[in-house]
Amino acid sequence: METNSGDVNQTTFDPTFQHPYSPARLPETVRPSKSQDLKSRFKNLRKTRGDGNCFYRAFGFAYLETLLTNGKEYKRFFETAQKSKDDLIGLGFPQFTLEDFHDTFMDVVKMVEKPGTTAALVEAFNDGGLSDYFVVYLRLLVSGHLQQNADSYIYFIDGERTIKEFCSQEVEPMGKESDHIHIVSLTKALQVPICVEYMDREGDKCNSFTFNPFEGTADSADATPVFTLLYRPGHYDILYPL
Amino acid sequence: MAQSPSGSAVKALQLELKKIQTEPVEGFRVKLVNDSNIFEWEVAIFGPPSTLYEGGYFKAHMKFPADYPYSPPSVRFITKMWHPNVYENGEVCISILHPPVDDPQSGELPSERWNPTQTVRTILLSVISLLNEPNTFSPANVDASVMFRKWKESKGKEKEYENIIRKQVQATKEEAEKDNVKVPTTLQEYCVLSTPAHDNQVDADFYDDDYVDDLDDEEEMYHEEDEEDSGNEES
Repeated sequence: METNSGDVNQTTFDPTFQHPYSPARLPETVRPSKSQDLKSRFKNLRKTRGDGNCFYRAFGFAYLETLLTNGKEYKRFFETAQKSKDDLIGLGFPQFTLEDFHDTFMDVVKMVEKPGTTAALVEAFNDGGLSDYFVVYLRLLVSGHLQQNADSYIYFIDGERTIKEFCSQEVEPMGKESDHIHIVSLTKALQVPICVEYMDREGDKCNSFTFNPFEGTADSADATPVFTLLYRPGHYDILYPL
Repeated sequence: MAQSPSGSAVKALQLELKKIQTEPVEGFRVKLVNDSNIFEWEVAIFGPPSTLYEGGYFKAHMKFPADYPYSPPSVRFITKMWHPNVYENGEVCISILHPPVDDPQSGELPSERWNPTQTVRTILLSVISLLNEPNTFSPANVDASVMFRKWKESKGKEKEYENIIRKQVQATKEEAEKDNVKVPTTLQEYCVLSTPAHDNQVDADFYDDDYVDDLDDEEEMYHEEDEEDSGNEES
């Protein structure tokens, strides 16, 4: 029995792929063919809480879950994550609290080490103290990446805002929803290619888009997405391929 | 946003309280209003030297929400304050305390916002700089704001604002005596107070930065008010 009470739910087959949060935002007429399309390619859907943090939570969970069976990538990620703390302190985040968030983030990351299990990750991601701290740290990573690469992103933000203002208004506060620019930033900050299936108004099938952090570099060709998220207007969940 | 069990808030607040009490920082003291409630703090702010507020001893209550640190606390002065950004009931209106949603200042001024890494310390440092550098773009007390602008634009010739502030500062001396607190009045004392009693475990850079930042603040106090007003953690 699936409930919507957790931050990240136990995976269960969802044959309808119906939008649990805002069905009104997706016209009834486009849904069946898109659901059919998803069913032909994915076996499972893991729902995340619809609280404005779903992208970060879905990203965090799905990524750590892939690391359970990929020791080499885990080692690379662990080092990147370990190092990120000093970069963020260098950008001016208060050291005392940043360290607290980083420590908790790393505690969750270390749950991947043997004997890491999906069940243990589900438990961690449903523990507010761990799960929300983890989300905060991912938000800080996005903010840090945007600030460090401000020149590349300044033309992609709305309104007359500096990158720093954008970060403090749209990235750092809990519950602020994620857009394309947030996804690009997180995948680049952590060097993790991902795929997002967009179940939006366009076309008969879902539109899939790969976020490739290596684009334009020599490694571009190896950018196989490590996991897939499903986007339905206003919300991200995790998809499991057949 | 997630309904954070207040367990996270209690943990974060206990950590901050312990940190401030074992390693006091410049310009303020904190304690709990009531020892059994970690969500309400009493803070005493020292008026920064070389400003109208020099020698002042201002008390405020901070109230933390159950989902702290994801949402900011509120700060309300108990000491009577005549200030463009303080409401009549003492509530402080400053960008760092605005919740992430429904931000009334959105797009106006480049200023510090709330995020979960902000702390009591960063808030109080922002409040201290706000004392002397009011934001007159969105005043909470319009009369005080008008009076402040007159004082500033006349380069101190229109003394009404100055007189009220000095009178209020004077009035706080009694309270300081009652609390047995000697308010630092020189920059040196103000910053020396921040030196922890046992600093062998402390990251030296952390305090060096603060010291330098504070000096910068003092020097810039009469400059443009649209500069970053918090002056902390930006070095």
